[in-house]
Amino acid sequence: MKVGPTLQGGLRIDVETPLDWMVLRCISYDARGGGLDLADRVSEAMGEDDSLADWEEYVLPELRDGFNGQLDAIEGALSIAGSGEEPAEIHIARDQADLWYGGLNQARLALEERYGFSTADPEEMTPGKRSAWFRSQFYLHVQSVLLEHVMR
Amino acid sequence: MSDTLTVTREEVSLDVPWNVIVHDDPVNLMGYVTLVLMKIFGYPESRATAMMMEVHKRGRSVVWTGEREKAEFYTQQLQAHQLKTSMEKSE
Repeated sequence: MKVGPTLQGGLRIDVETPLDWMVLRCISYDARGGGLDLADRVSEAMGEDDSLADWEEYVLPELRDGFNGQLDAIEGALSIAGSGEEPAEIHIARDQADLWYGGLNQARLALEERYGFSTADPEEMTPGKRSAWFRSQFYLHVQSVLLEHVMR
Repeated sequence: MSDTLTVTREEVSLDVPWNVIVHDDPVNLMGYVTLVLMKIFGYPESRATAMMMEVHKRGRSVVWTGEREKAEFYTQQLQAHQLKTSMEKSE
């Protein structure tokens, strides 16, 4: 797989093998799979103020919709790009960069919550955890390219 | 004849200002936090970077202070960008 910025200000991902497809499909799988409620997580520091009930009732559902929308957009883009076996190009336009960045962030957050990579040594990980760590590093790399070349 | 000066005092109940606080997180990239602060508040890069560094080093930073309604709006915007955010009354 190759990931790089385009002259149009977006990002292109060249998907070369079925394994590449699998890694890309894991973005939403990882993000949705851990049972992490990201809306709860980003608002957990809100405290016990009276308005918290309103926040839970009115704001959190909107946040959840937004976060789900990011993953839906990635799943949609992958589905349009190809069948999941053949080489393909995925183009992320500038106005789609926030959605992709957010979806990748959700996947990294979910993996971090599940495995606690920041306190683990990759050489001592189980195969499953190491595989998740490599995916997390890949997501981080794509996020970095998006941030450096597309979102700024 | 002397003029009488009447002074009228009006008590205005001013709402206590609220702080919007961004908390540290092991996943969010430092450059992204800076970018979000620039985008939402219109801060120059130097100010946004200083706030991001405070989040990184001290675990939290007050990124905005003002009326409650706007504080709620900004808090929601920051949370929508996946930044762990809270608000509290300013002391």
